[in-house]
Amino acid sequence: MSLFDKFEKNAALFNELSETGRNPFAVVMERVLGPTRAIIKGRETVLAGTHNYLGQTFEPKAIAAAQKALAEEGTGTTGSRFANGTFAGHKALEAGIAQFLGLEYCLVFSTGYMANLGGIAGLVGAKDAILIDADCHACIYDGCVLSGGETVRFRHNDPESLDRRLERLDPKYEGKLVCIEGMYSMFGDIAPVKEFAEVAHRHGAHLFVDEAHSFGVYGDNGRGVSEADGAMDIIDFYSGTFSKSLAAIGGFVASNHQALESLRFSSRPYMFTASPSPATIASASAALANIKATPALRQRLWTNIGRLHGALTQFGLNLASGPAPVISVLLPDRETAFMAWNFLLENGVYVNMAIPPGTPNATSLLRLSVSAAQTDADLDAITDAYAAMAEAFPGARVAGVS
Amino acid sequence: MAGIQQSGIQEDDDLVFRRICSLLEPLNHKRARLTRDLDLVADLEVDSVSVLDLVMDIEDYYDISIPVNTISETKTIGQLVDAIHAIKGQQG
Repeated sequence: MSLFDKFEKNAALFNELSETGRNPFAVVMERVLGPTRAIIKGRETVLAGTHNYLGQTFEPKAIAAAQKALAEEGTGTTGSRFANGTFAGHKALEAGIAQFLGLEYCLVFSTGYMANLGGIAGLVGAKDAILIDADCHACIYDGCVLSGGETVRFRHNDPESLDRRLERLDPKYEGKLVCIEGMYSMFGDIAPVKEFAEVAHRHGAHLFVDEAHSFGVYGDNGRGVSEADGAMDIIDFYSGTFSKSLAAIGGFVASNHQALESLRFSSRPYMFTASPSPATIASASAALANIKATPALRQRLWTNIGRLHGALTQFGLNLASGPAPVISVLLPDRETAFMAWNFLLENGVYVNMAIPPGTPNATSLLRLSVSAAQTDADLDAITDAYAAMAEAFPGARVAGVS
Repeated sequence: MAGIQQSGIQEDDDLVFRRICSLLEPLNHKRARLTRDLDLVADLEVDSVSVLDLVMDIEDYYDISIPVNTISETKTIGQLVDAIHAIKGQQG
């Protein structure tokens, strides 16, 4: 056995995909043309798998703010939040997010992944227990590992399953943290946040909600699924990312618990990495101000969601859930998923392919993400490609899957 | 129980082992003969998430708590059976 033997099996699969010339896990955006178009394999392609939900990647105000910060504050902070990497912009963005959410405290991390990693590993210690929804994202699992706390999974979106697990949990654990997501990014299904909060609190546990895919998208003020479910006042911790609705990179954890501030000197992923660059912070701040001032972006997104979800339903495609910013088509196996993914790309539409073990219940799927920036021409191109796919792949249709 | 007869698990009267085998049967696409030495991921090619899902079924069946940390240390069916017996001993 050598250091490299463990890669063999997946390397064979990866290389096999690469030999076809169309590896879904090695796509290169050769040139970006705008929020919804890029050149892939030398060809103009509609982007329908980029989580650019509010279409802010080319927002002029965000670009101008980033350019100004770049010129005035330099290319990087060259330090961590804990040392020399906290600029006025970082503090202003934290205050802005807290105000947007109606919560008191907020910490900005360098990526969304690190926000969950640092939030969970910072809050939970070796004597505590974490209960996570079975479908939680990899960064939540990694946060659990880094925390050293005892981790127990409960059934996806099932408050009763959480209730049972909290009931039988050994009383020796000092603290208990329950982790869920607002909208789950594989199927586009949403959590009953309020019910989870009630179950968690009944057992003396705290609730941590990852709203990476739902921040800016759900709720009357864009505060996420927690707001839409009337649970903003009862959740304990809220995490999000800048890389989707705010179209930058970075992440945050917000809360009304003052204890969150203690993570500034106890969360390793916060303390031991460089802070986001001034330009990143400036564009995220400008995008936040823009989405707050422009509810029409959210309305446009939901109009596009309704149109695409309606069309895909009409084509008889086997959809994973109701209308949501993520619309996933379930496919019978990896091979079909790969062929259907290729088919869409050949028809000028880029989506994400997801296969086990990256998916729940060993499912293979194609994930379409909707954007407020998708124009009527983009939506037509997407629906045309999916209509042709529904014809070419009976296994993608409801009747075909049985 | 008809489905598991062909796996030859009737030779083993450990109820936890039999329970795990019956839960593994739908994932046993290669129709391998289930023994304690079989590696869940390497031999049966059950993906890591499916192993965790199977553990959730066992938790509810025996009304016990099996931490994810414990599962990541078990490789074979036998090791999983032993881990469950140990937890049942503590919690049951």
